[in-house]
Amino acid sequence: MKRSGPLVTLLAGLLLGLFLLSLNATTGEKTTASSVQESPSTKASPSPTPTETTPSASPSPSRTAAPTGVYTGRTADDSSAVAISLRDGKAIAYFCDGQNIESWLKGDVKADGSMRLTGKGTTLDATLKGSRQLSGTANVGGGDYAFTIDKTEKSSGLYRANSSVAGAKIEGGWIVLPDGEQVGILRRDGKASAAPEIDPETGAVTVDGEQLTARPVTP
Amino acid sequence: MTVDPNAATQGFPSPEPARPRPNPARYLVPALVAAAVAIALGAYGKVHDPAGTSFNLAGFSSTGAVKSWLATGAFFFAIVQLVSALMVYGKLPGPRWSAKLHRWSGRVAFLAAVPVAVHCLYALGYQSYESRVLWHSLMGCFFFGVFSAKMLLLRSERLPGWLLPIVGGLVFTALTIIWLTSALWFFRTFGVTT
Repeated sequence: MKRSGPLVTLLAGLLLGLFLLSLNATTGEKTTASSVQESPSTKASPSPTPTETTPSASPSPSRTAAPTGVYTGRTADDSSAVAISLRDGKAIAYFCDGQNIESWLKGDVKADGSMRLTGKGTTLDATLKGSRQLSGTANVGGGDYAFTIDKTEKSSGLYRANSSVAGAKIEGGWIVLPDGEQVGILRRDGKASAAPEIDPETGAVTVDGEQLTARPVTP
Repeated sequence: MTVDPNAATQGFPSPEPARPRPNPARYLVPALVAAAVAIALGAYGKVHDPAGTSFNLAGFSSTGAVKSWLATGAFFFAIVQLVSALMVYGKLPGPRWSAKLHRWSGRVAFLAAVPVAVHCLYALGYQSYESRVLWHSLMGCFFFGVFSAKMLLLRSERLPGWLLPIVGGLVFTALTIIWLTSALWFFRTFGVTT
């Protein structure tokens, strides 16, 4: 005589796992698909490069050309956002948790696609994975944050604003994630708070009643 | 889930009558299934590109919080498992329904752990960038392997008396390490938040 209870338990776990996985996969596809379709329709870039819509057409990215583009995404623990902008062998990165932890980092991209970026007491190591993904670890505020972030379809997902409003020095940094969510910090005379949302089309943002413009950041 | 494992399966003729000689397949099949499950999970986590994010549950601040509470629930029921197992084996005084308690707390613990594992594998993958993460990845794969083995072993009659406690102990130990390296770390790092 064989007991069937344990098998039923295993099967239930398997089915639950598969169900959740399919749920994840479908919602995941939806976000990426919508971000791909939204970026041309938002008219930010009226001429989306047609090569970008077919990334699989060129499976062998030329290693000689310096990688260019903006990569955005969340850290593996989902606590923060990371954006890295690459151009001509240089990289600039912004790490932000949307509350009080943020860091701007800079550095060079090596020929093998790896980079070590540094900021004020912060470091970020990342490596290009293929032509559409960056993976690495950021050490910010004493914590290590692993991340794997994807190339964005938009022109930029990384914005900065510096100005002064009513005598206070305003410094803002924003990451616009592929799903349109924004993670940003605004400092008034160095005091950090969550940043108001910017208009990703124009960079317009209203701070304390005054209109500022956040500009895309490139190295 | 409503099948009582102790119910007599008289409706079907038993396809395999109890054999007098021990069959090595009784141990080999669970061991192979365990290895296959653990390797498959690890390989999926390693090969599959981590999505980085996944759906969240309403009412929780982050997926990390959801997972930590689910894992803590699983760990709580795992402790119930340990106590009820000691009752079943007569090492502790226990009620008559301790066997039932053991079965159902185990099911709840397992089913609570599954969504956590799905999120881990889907969104984060198999990682080894620090020892906490490496242990967590290893133990996560090991846990579901050894749990499968335990479930399959339960179907065999006349096992050596020490086997189930050992395998069950491995399941419990693995889950403990998983919880220590994830939920406890999360609560210590981010605070006990929901």
